[in-house]
Amino acid sequence: MTDRPSPERSDTPLKPAEPARKPAARAVRAGLPLIWLVPIAALIVTLGVGWNMIASRGTLISVAFKDATGITPGETALKFREITVGKVESVRFTEDLQQVEVNMRVDKDLAPYIDKDAQFWIVRPQVSAQGISRLDTVLTGSFVEGYWDDKVDGPQTRFQGLDKPPLTSFGEQGTWIVLAAERSRGMTEGAPVLFRGLPVGRMQNLRLSENDEGVLTDVFIAAPYDQLLTTNTVFWDTSGFSVSLGAQGLSLNVNSLASVLQGGAEFATLTSGGAPVEDGHVFSLQPDRGAAEANLFADESKALRLTMLVDESVRGLETGADVQFMGLTVGRVTSLAARVVRGADGQDHVEQEVTLAVTPERMGLSGEATPEEALDFIAGQVRAGLRARIASAGFFGTSLQVELVDLPGAEPAELDRTAKPYPVIPSVPGDISDFSETAQGFLARVGNLPIEEALKSVTDMMNSVTAIASSEDTRAIPGALRGTLEDAQAAAGEIRQVTTELRESGAVGQLRRMVDEAAAAAEAVKLAAADVPAMVDQIDAAAVKIEAVDYAAIGAEAEGILKDVRALLGTEDAEQLPKNLSETLKSASGLLNDLRDGNAAGSLNNALASASTAAQDVSDAAKRLPQLSARLEALAARADAVIAAYGDRSSFNTETINLMREMRRAANAFGSLARTIERNPQAFILGR
Amino acid sequence: MNAPSDAPVLTAHRAGLAGCRGCGRVWPETETICSRCGGALVSPDRRCLNAVWAWLAAGFVFYIPANLFPMLKTSTFGGLRGNSEATILGGVVELMHYGNYGVAAIVFLASIVVPIGKFIAISWLALVAGRPATVRAAHKRLHLYEVVEFIGRWSMIDVFIVAILSALVQLGFVASIHPGPAAVSFALSVAFTMLSAQSFDPRLIWRGLPLRSRKDHE
Repeated sequence: MTDRPSPERSDTPLKPAEPARKPAARAVRAGLPLIWLVPIAALIVTLGVGWNMIASRGTLISVAFKDATGITPGETALKFREITVGKVESVRFTEDLQQVEVNMRVDKDLAPYIDKDAQFWIVRPQVSAQGISRLDTVLTGSFVEGYWDDKVDGPQTRFQGLDKPPLTSFGEQGTWIVLAAERSRGMTEGAPVLFRGLPVGRMQNLRLSENDEGVLTDVFIAAPYDQLLTTNTVFWDTSGFSVSLGAQGLSLNVNSLASVLQGGAEFATLTSGGAPVEDGHVFSLQPDRGAAEANLFADESKALRLTMLVDESVRGLETGADVQFMGLTVGRVTSLAARVVRGADGQDHVEQEVTLAVTPERMGLSGEATPEEALDFIAGQVRAGLRARIASAGFFGTSLQVELVDLPGAEPAELDRTAKPYPVIPSVPGDISDFSETAQGFLARVGNLPIEEALKSVTDMMNSVTAIASSEDTRAIPGALRGTLEDAQAAAGEIRQVTTELRESGAVGQLRRMVDEAAAAAEAVKLAAADVPAMVDQIDAAAVKIEAVDYAAIGAEAEGILKDVRALLGTEDAEQLPKNLSETLKSASGLLNDLRDGNAAGSLNNALASASTAAQDVSDAAKRLPQLSARLEALAARADAVIAAYGDRSSFNTETINLMREMRRAANAFGSLARTIERNPQAFILGR
Repeated sequence: MNAPSDAPVLTAHRAGLAGCRGCGRVWPETETICSRCGGALVSPDRRCLNAVWAWLAAGFVFYIPANLFPMLKTSTFGGLRGNSEATILGGVVELMHYGNYGVAAIVFLASIVVPIGKFIAISWLALVAGRPATVRAAHKRLHLYEVVEFIGRWSMIDVFIVAILSALVQLGFVASIHPGPAAVSFALSVAFTMLSAQSFDPRLIWRGLPLRSRKDHE
């Protein structure tokens, strides 16, 4: 602060003691004081820093992309091998507004390498069948990635960016090949190319071929594996799963789930001797391994072309069908054509000309054999009986193949080596089991089966069975039988009882006694004829007693049994029972008839009548008594026999038991039949 | 100041005295050392304006990169998410963009308005130093000088912000803030302008006052 000289204000103006006037020359003499070095230094430093900044800013390049998804000017980095080497400065449209131009500042020392082979693409997170990649960019944001080689080759500042990251990058060593296929089946962007199941490459740049004939894809086989590729390498599709019904039967081929999802191809070098492949070699992608192998034979330059002439239909024979030699596939059919041949009879007729491509190596010849040697070999085989013929192949014989078979008994023939375009191998009629014929025959046979009759019979039978089963009578059969048997048993029991009664009641004894008495009476008669009337009375009483035995009831019982049995046998249903049953019943009936007609009662009656007569005769003439007694004895023996006939082991019982057995067996048979039908109705048709 | 503009003013210089810049005591010009505070006694000299101009130029030189270069370098997620660099003006715009108008105003005032105002004020003061002026005008200049000297240190607020942020926001991988080249430039610029303001001898303000005595002399 300046001192304020207010006290002196009122005084006379103070005169400075000594005016401090410094000459201007002093300042000039001092020149620029040292202090000015400061701003100069500041300027130099600032300029230096500025210059440094500007100089190290790097080169501006611009890359055109389809869109600039995720690109932020000033933030998005340009990366080379994951190292940030630049930064996006600005984004603008190209003049035609079709693309976005991304201007990037690249590190100065890398800029010279960014020449015409540099590639740029935007790295974003990707989710595909191959997996999720670049997930880090979700956090960090997209970035532009570039790749260029280490050759300085005329720097360039304008580039066309790629739409998607290249699958192989960073100058990997390997071989680029091209896969061609008719359809893109199994070919997807990024699908793996496998060797023995190991991914060694990837497909990319899937595109239509230029002439629109198929699909092409580039495949990069990484370095150590590209040595596996030769010109003999075959590629086949491994995508998805395949079900094939071929000569070998049903074959299901499922690859890994990944390949089902994303497709893929596998390759193998099946034969040696191929040349190394150059970049850009075109391989054809076969639908499966089998086709690839077949294709290999066809592709082989050494394949021997033969023609066979067939005068029968070759429907079912297709190009590509196998040529089999002793069960081995040695080649394939390469073409089918018809041609008109003038036969021996002067008539034109059409023959099928089947061209075969046969690999001599597969027939056992060494790989070095020349075509001539191979033909010599085949000619020798033909002389020995080798013939070509069409044979059916496959599960149903639907497809045809060509067989080279050894027929020693064949008519002598020669390989026609002069024929054009290819030597003609003699052929024999084919061994074709025409599937359609077979099927037709089969169907015809099926059609000829008397199914309707069988069904009718079966229906009838079933109806009968049902009727039998449902009829009251049938249901009553067991009961009736049991009743019959019970009755029979009862009858037998009664008869036995009667017999027993007869025995117990001492009928015989009585008779004997009676006879004895009669004899005694006769004696007595002989002694005194006075007792005869009493004896006669006794005999009468005996006769009455014997007559009191209810033979009629026995007969009625037996008749009832017979009636029952006859009623049973009389039913129509019963008639359909097995014959032996019927016969058994009949015999039972006959037995019972016999029983009824058996004169058991009658003879007894007669005997008794005779006895009565005898008794009366006794009264008439006593001298005939011994005869009477003999007759009575005979009568008793007969009665015994009759009664014995109804005994335990009598034929009646046996018959009845047999009858029961038969019935039971019949019932069982029906039961099992019914069960069988219930369980297995078609057994009627098939008969078992 | 109640002194009339046209009133004759006797300055220490005219009185043959030299004020001590340290304690304000005036001494006869023959004295070279202030006996009160021990400071060197220098009579006001326009040559000191050289230093003013030189410091001012240095400050201005550094003020340019301070505005062009980034003040803050923010890297989020280890630089994966992106590195953002903000210049002073960019920072202000960004703050406004986020709605922090108050902070934006402070930063704008401290970093743009004040330094530029200082440049203008110091250059004007240096230009008009020693030129004829009324007492009122001289008082105004003095006032301006005092304001510039007072406010000069506040310009460092921006540098402090950067320093504090750099120290605080070191979250490793997640986020980190580093001072940019502009921070150094700005700090230097502020320092130089402060030196410039300090080099200015306010006694020069009074050198061009109208003196009745001079008229009397002539």
